[in-house]
Amino acid sequence: MTRRVAVVAGGHSKFGKRYDATMRELCAEAYKPVYDAGITQDRIDATVLSYAASQFTGQGAGSALMADSIGLQEKPHLRVESACATGTASIRAAYGMVASGLYDVMLVLGVEQMNRVSSATATEYMSRAGDMRWEYPYGISFPAFYALMASRYMAEYNLPHDVLSMISVKSHHYGAQNPKAHLPKEVSFEEANNAVPICRPLNLYDCSLITDGAAAVVLVAEPRVKEFTDQPMWIKGMGAGASEMMIQDRPSLTSIPGAKRAAKAAYKMAGLQPKDINMAEVHDCFSIAELIAYEDLGFAEPGKGRQLIENKEVYHTGRIPVNCDGGLKSKGHPLGATGVSMTYEVLSQMRKKAEKPTRQIKDVKYGLVHNVGQSGQFVNVIIYERGW
Amino acid sequence: MSGEKEIYLGYTTDKAVTPFFKQFLEALEKQQLMKSTCKKCKSEYLPPRQYCQKCLTECELTEFTERDAKLVSFTVVEFAPESLASRQPYVVAIGEFPSGRRLTAHITNLMDMPKVGMKLKLSFERVSDKQVTYKWQV
Repeated sequence: MTRRVAVVAGGHSKFGKRYDATMRELCAEAYKPVYDAGITQDRIDATVLSYAASQFTGQGAGSALMADSIGLQEKPHLRVESACATGTASIRAAYGMVASGLYDVMLVLGVEQMNRVSSATATEYMSRAGDMRWEYPYGISFPAFYALMASRYMAEYNLPHDVLSMISVKSHHYGAQNPKAHLPKEVSFEEANNAVPICRPLNLYDCSLITDGAAAVVLVAEPRVKEFTDQPMWIKGMGAGASEMMIQDRPSLTSIPGAKRAAKAAYKMAGLQPKDINMAEVHDCFSIAELIAYEDLGFAEPGKGRQLIENKEVYHTGRIPVNCDGGLKSKGHPLGATGVSMTYEVLSQMRKKAEKPTRQIKDVKYGLVHNVGQSGQFVNVIIYERGW
Repeated sequence: MSGEKEIYLGYTTDKAVTPFFKQFLEALEKQQLMKSTCKKCKSEYLPPRQYCQKCLTECELTEFTERDAKLVSFTVVEFAPESLASRQPYVVAIGEFPSGRRLTAHITNLMDMPKVGMKLKLSFERVSDKQVTYKWQV
């Protein structure tokens, strides 16, 4: 017998190049608003700590450091890792433990500190998430994996790069209104479309950022939710999917098969369809990834995702607002924190707590989070429901 | 191990060279590309796997002789991981042989931007004393 589970609170650090902080301070920053909301350490049964890679800082047993930094050193904790999908994998793990009755109240705390190494070194570490025997020796960086998808998509659907730049412009439009964003500035279409190439056909503005940051959410079992909030956000549906390790082995490069599997499972569990979703936080590690997400999540037919951005249907007043917090592109992408940050954003939108009305989505009953690890080897889709 | 000749695939020097993989690399030095075939269910793998993904039986290496392929996808890497910085820019390409088998490697003789669907031919190169690779040519 499983129990319903709700997200009852969240916290978020400033994202950016945080040379002023280590994982310790970032964790404290993300947990502080949760603490201030009355969810003190004594009310938390256990923690899932979410970070993707210890190479960036060199810190081993990082989850112990994270727990200790916020006074949860005596409570059970564990680390979950699924590359860039680590945040939602951690929420998934905590959900299972709370739904099953093992714990009533769990904190999920995601963090990554990536800027202790140079961009070239960070790119090196992330390229090792490809197959070390067959892909790594050819220098297939993280952007390169998505560039392989982009060049195929552009050829199959005759997609001009302009469409990808429209997505980058949107990301920065909303990131500019998010005080927690790493790069909170507007970018013109010309700037985005003519930026320096990173992995052709992707340029600088097609790529997400190498970010330091942390985010936290608290999951509570239904019988105890009222002790914490009268504005719970229920986990309505949750799906996970996986894909082949090597990108060459995927039957299609214009879609992420694991994302489609995850979405199908999440919609089924929620009893909902894509048209029911009021907002989405999608994994735009690259502009092409957002475009493909529109299609994998069923918001558009294959090859037709471009219409959503061209018609501004993914803006905050559109049919299906996507990443109105700036996304990974402008808000930033601290790997282990990203999926938690997405969930925090859905909670904030549902509670009408967006910092500026110009990025507040009108009425969110159902919000979807789509979080992809590496080039699609792990994908989690979570559908949240407003509980008031 | 000391005394043994070091040999690596491609443009890096990952130390995880097992006896099975070394056999593959030694064939590659002789310009032979090896696939692997499951001794039990006959599933074929390119690049080769030591153990069959389906029935976990050991595979044996056999020569893969197709050379002509079509470009499935590509990227021109302008900002490389640290380990390949000295080679940038370079072109990474997924090519597909008529049998449907695919291989990921660099295209090393391009003068213009590659085009999806263009013809590729598999070739071989000794990169350094310790490195050997397959590569695509247009």
